[in-house]
Amino acid sequence: MDGTQSPDNSKIDIWSEAGTTRVPFEVYKDAGIYAQELEKIFYGASWNYVGLECEVPQAGDFRRNFIGEREVLMIRKDDGALSVVENRCAHRGAQLCQALSGNTGNAIMCPYHQWTYTLDGELTGMPFKRGINGKGGLNPDFDLRAHGLVNLRVESLNGVVFASFDHDVPGLSEYLGPDMVKYFTRIFDGRGLRVVGYERQVIDCNWKLQMENLKDPYHAGILHLFLISFGLFRLDQESKCLVDDSKGHSVLMTAKGTEEGKEDTGGVRIAAPDFSLTDHDLIQPRLEFPDNVTLSIQTLFPSIIIQAQCNTLATRQVIPKGPGSHELVWTFFGFEDDDNEMKDLRLRQANLMGSAGYVTLDDAEALEFSQVGLSGSHDGDAAVLEIGGKDCESNDHLVTESLIRGFYMRYRDAMGHGKVGV
Amino acid sequence: MDQAEMCQPVTDDAMLRRIERLQLNYIESIDDGPLDKWPQFFTDKCLYTVVSRDNYDRGMELGVMRFESVGMLIDRATATQHAAVFAPRIIRHVLGPAMVDDTRGGYRSRCNVVIYQTSPDGDTVLLMTATYNDLIVEQDGVLKFKEKRVIYDTHRIPDSIVYPL
Repeated sequence: MDGTQSPDNSKIDIWSEAGTTRVPFEVYKDAGIYAQELEKIFYGASWNYVGLECEVPQAGDFRRNFIGEREVLMIRKDDGALSVVENRCAHRGAQLCQALSGNTGNAIMCPYHQWTYTLDGELTGMPFKRGINGKGGLNPDFDLRAHGLVNLRVESLNGVVFASFDHDVPGLSEYLGPDMVKYFTRIFDGRGLRVVGYERQVIDCNWKLQMENLKDPYHAGILHLFLISFGLFRLDQESKCLVDDSKGHSVLMTAKGTEEGKEDTGGVRIAAPDFSLTDHDLIQPRLEFPDNVTLSIQTLFPSIIIQAQCNTLATRQVIPKGPGSHELVWTFFGFEDDDNEMKDLRLRQANLMGSAGYVTLDDAEALEFSQVGLSGSHDGDAAVLEIGGKDCESNDHLVTESLIRGFYMRYRDAMGHGKVGV
Repeated sequence: MDQAEMCQPVTDDAMLRRIERLQLNYIESIDDGPLDKWPQFFTDKCLYTVVSRDNYDRGMELGVMRFESVGMLIDRATATQHAAVFAPRIIRHVLGPAMVDDTRGGYRSRCNVVIYQTSPDGDTVLLMTATYNDLIVEQDGVLKFKEKRVIYDTHRIPDSIVYPL
């Protein structure tokens, strides 16, 4: 049987009694579970990142993106508002826009048969609608209004645009909750944004492993020898791990550490303790937000990460590509009022992040190690998540997997895999 | 002075061969190592960037790597060898012929490059197609890169870029 046809309530029983301290490896590789994730999470009652308003400044500007595996277009309308429509013609299903971004004028036209839509996705017409000399064409009873593009609900918060296939989903602020809005607007504080540049990489592991990685402060003080060597991240730093009430969103923050005492690394092996940096800008942030936090990582369910490491700011969008792969799209941004020094810092500190980043290169590698490893697992095998106990609560320390346990509480709820305590 | 006077195609065979040799020695330092040699191909103050064609065409300078001095290149070489975790791999550059112009600031060299990556299991994938857009100067009789811009088409990178390109 095709895995994608498994009954709706299958796989509930893969979760053991141990709550979310055990994550069955099947959730990272089973095609049926993956198909349900797309339907229930990405195409269900979730808000999904589709871009920044500054990417579509002029009427008719569009940017192409994905929600789950469905392509969507974020479009600036004539009245300045935004629309998000599926990038699929209502006629024969052709992809409407092929470029990553551009301007579509005052209408969206399918290149195949020139069926034409408003920027909201309403079908306005097509060639030979009445045929030629009364022959052919559409019957007079064909209802244009019933054949528009799939139109998504759109909300934007301080320049960041989210969309949902579910028109009944609670509003974005309610979906995020007050705590998450507070930390979201710490960075997106209402100032005009500017895109510094993009990076895209395909990482061959399940999309959830990418989200877990950003909810896992435990690894950051161990795997990332670069961060440890320069005191950019230490597990004993002043820090916070905040989980929202739904347990699906979180923020991880640390204040700047020092290079002093870097020999005390809790047993972590450092390959080159005498390695020192020529370029100190990389690790000397200019404080730009009203606190002393130099690293904050916010993860919003299901699949967007907002990173502020020193002065390198980016959204990282996780796009699932089958159970065993995902694309990671980095949109590095700054503010319209950045001075030249800040512009240079953002370009230079981008060396830390992205597909060749001093820090994130390790992550992409470790995540692929995970997928290769777990692909050999058998029924009943599961990941162990007991660092920091068994709960999903906020913490004032970093040696914890509570954010990941929280993610799987929210995940099980969304998937109908039993809402459980721990 | 107009563009034509500032920029003349190099026709001197010996110089073209020296520039070709520089490029081949450069990729050898990455493909066959050791990586410590890689920074030596640059002038003290230099610009090394690896920028996607997508960013480049949008006028965005953001690169997956951006180094502005030999010191920064040494940092990268050291970190790659001692402070990074990644699966072993083999990198292989294949260079096309270069178009070289003599400009007031040095020799401007442009060539296509294809870079493959081979995993420990022996699978070879195309890492990227790209162009090198270089500015080469002569210092104490030695040709060095004052600028090397790697502009890559393959802006959906398979996994990570571990080594310099």
